Amino acid sequence: MGVFLAPLALTAGLLAVSLLPRIRQSEPLTWSFWGAAMLLLAWQAVLALRARTEGAPTLGPFTPRAQHYVQALCHSGVFLYWGWYWPPVYDFMPLLAGQLFFAYVFDMLLAWSKRQAWVPGFGPFPIVFSTNLFLWFKDDWFALQFILLAVGFLGKAFVQWERDGRRVHIFNPSAFSLALFSVGLLVTGTTDLTWAQEINTTFSLGPRIYLMLFGIGLVVMYFFSITPVTASAAATLFGASAAYYAVTGVPYFVDSEIPAAVFLGMHLLVTDPSTSPRTPFGRAVFGVMYGLGVFALYALLGALGLPTFYDKLMVVPLLNLTVPSIDRAVARLGSQPILARLGLVGPLGRMNLAHMGAWILFFAAMTALGRTDGMHRGDALPFWQQACAEDRPRACERLLMIEGSYCADNAGWACNELGRHYLDGRLVPTDTDRALAYFSRACEARFQPGCVNLLDPSAPVAADPRPLDLRLLVREGGPNLLEMPEPALYARACRHGWSFACEKRSASR
Amino acid sequence: MRWRAAAAAVLLLLLVGARAHVAPLRAQGAAEAPASRPAFPELVEIPGGPFVMGADPSADPMAFDNERWSPSQGTGMVDVPTFYLARHEVTVAQFAAFARASSWRVDPQALAGPPAHPVVFVSWPDALAYCRWLEGELKRAPEVPGRVRQLLAEGWRVTLPSEAEWEKAARGTDGRRYPWGSEPRRDRANYQNQGTAPVGTYPCPECAHGLADMSGNVWEWTSSPYQPYPYDASDDRANLDADALWVMRGGSFGDPARQVRTPARGAADPGARRAFIGFRVALVKR
Repeated sequence: MGVFLAPLALTAGLLAVSLLPRIRQSEPLTWSFWGAAMLLLAWQAVLALRARTEGAPTLGPFTPRAQHYVQALCHSGVFLYWGWYWPPVYDFMPLLAGQLFFAYVFDMLLAWSKRQAWVPGFGPFPIVFSTNLFLWFKDDWFALQFILLAVGFLGKAFVQWERDGRRVHIFNPSAFSLALFSVGLLVTGTTDLTWAQEINTTFSLGPRIYLMLFGIGLVVMYFFSITPVTASAAATLFGASAAYYAVTGVPYFVDSEIPAAVFLGMHLLVTDPSTSPRTPFGRAVFGVMYGLGVFALYALLGALGLPTFYDKLMVVPLLNLTVPSIDRAVARLGSQPILARLGLVGPLGRMNLAHMGAWILFFAAMTALGRTDGMHRGDALPFWQQACAEDRPRACERLLMIEGSYCADNAGWACNELGRHYLDGRLVPTDTDRALAYFSRACEARFQPGCVNLLDPSAPVAADPRPLDLRLLVREGGPNLLEMPEPALYARACRHGWSFACEKRSASR
Repeated sequence: MRWRAAAAAVLLLLLVGARAHVAPLRAQGAAEAPASRPAFPELVEIPGGPFVMGADPSADPMAFDNERWSPSQGTGMVDVPTFYLARHEVTVAQFAAFARASSWRVDPQALAGPPAHPVVFVSWPDALAYCRWLEGELKRAPEVPGRVRQLLAEGWRVTLPSEAEWEKAARGTDGRRYPWGSEPRRDRANYQNQGTAPVGTYPCPECAHGLADMSGNVWEWTSSPYQPYPYDASDDRANLDADALWVMRGGSFGDPARQVRTPARGAADPGARRAFIGFRVALVKR
């Protein structure tokens, strides 16, 4: 029965984490930890009773697997970099530690409940980390975070099929639970229970985030030969974005060719080797399908008026289901000469370095063309104003969205613009109350036209953004430019197409 | 000395010539309205005409530099059309009625004070939101006096007073330094004190237009952007590039006598919610 000391000690670890100030600051959060611990203790009691008649469960030998610890190290790198620029990530670390304790005990008890030996290793790390790279519940709803993890483990343990003569899980565990919860949150209209929106938008606060993710991705590619998945997904999305821009004159993903969070998903979510096709070509097809799936879901969610950041999560389980079909189709194709020349036939790994080389060249080319880090044409508000004036597809909708986002960050200029839109009724139906609410917000942000419009909305006035506003408006997805000297700020604003900024820059020379 | 004598003569002339015209418009039950029903403010008519605005630091040692009309002129004459001003500052109870009836987000501290005290912790937009709501209520409520209903029907608006309107109502047409006269009196206003008092606590029979708490209790938001004198209502929409700063008047319970003078000008960030800033409403033709 001494075997039960392991889950008992880990549950004690979970309880110990619950005593940390970060957890104790919120009562629902504390109770979610205690609830999870009580559930695990009750489960252990049941298994201990069963062990009296059936014998004690067993522990296997410690088996560290590269696909677990290498992935976990890569995830950790992302957390460290992201948290450096977005402090809530570091603040979240105690909650991540608690989830790790929970995941270990849950995985162990699940294996014992299935009368299997539990093999110690680093398996729970990538599941917990990759889940938390995409979705956290807010403190008041944190109990759902434990359920999110539990669903991932249950999916891994019970949703299985025969593949190559072995019973294996169908779905990438974290993507499975993330997709299920995404659907649940969208259907019930409760996405605000999570930090999903913030998570989605704060990746880009780190400078050169694409380069950083690319670098981390190379490690995963080197060890697990998943280059075809990432490279083909990236190529598909870059290509589709470019095609969309060529046709419509506006960027598809607003301010990037591939959103940073999607780029992360391409490297660390869809690339689980266990739930990907077995051949390089199969993996390339898998990647293309991921790219197309994200592209289509982004449009679908947007058309339904739902948050679009779930696009990268919902498509993975659907793709997991297609893996046997992809493998069969690739097998039927055999060794086509063209595929052979591209190194896409034969066992995984043989041409991995060549694939990585091609991917590095492709990424370098995209970077040189300004399609990764740095300013994107969609970062410039004047671009969207112009596109809206020219009635480009969805340009006005996006202009409103961008202004809404800056207004939420207290850019008074953006709030005043929104107020004017809701008064003139050109882009949105006239809504005086809403207009006045936006003018109030502009005014409280000390943007004088907002105050003037609040006092007398009959002839709304506008003004150029102040330096304070520009520090937000020209941040290009990065942090607010609080320290940037005004001449540099105006120079950047001029690059964005703000003509008044060009004049100010010239005048100051 | 010559300046002081001249100023005193002008003041005397104004005092003799002026006649405070007080025409209260009290909504039925306004004073004792139960908490569940909005208590409407009592509006006092301030007749149209010119008044002396500002104060000359060279003539009035208590005057601040920002009260001086221009480099060449200590004070100015401003013609203000007839308007109505609430006799009292808006109370916590009145503001709470607005908070209950609307979806406007208010600072919980604004509702935490005693019901009869002036509401504080209100921003400038909060004050205007209250005015908009009150205007709608006054148009609908049957107990509102016919004159008010008529004015509203003619397009008059419930809003904050401009600083000229506020100053004229406070000092009358005789240019007094305090609403009751020329000297500070602690029995007439709540200043140099520890906290707010219920509105109308300090009796002031001498006060211009019978208005209460025009000095002290809380600073009162106005509808004027803070700009250097000379005052000109037509330039309120100028200087849109400047950071917003709005005039407040009257001083507060914590201020010295100098700050609660009728021409004293304060200014605050419109988003400021402070324990010493409140407001009163005006009915104006704009």
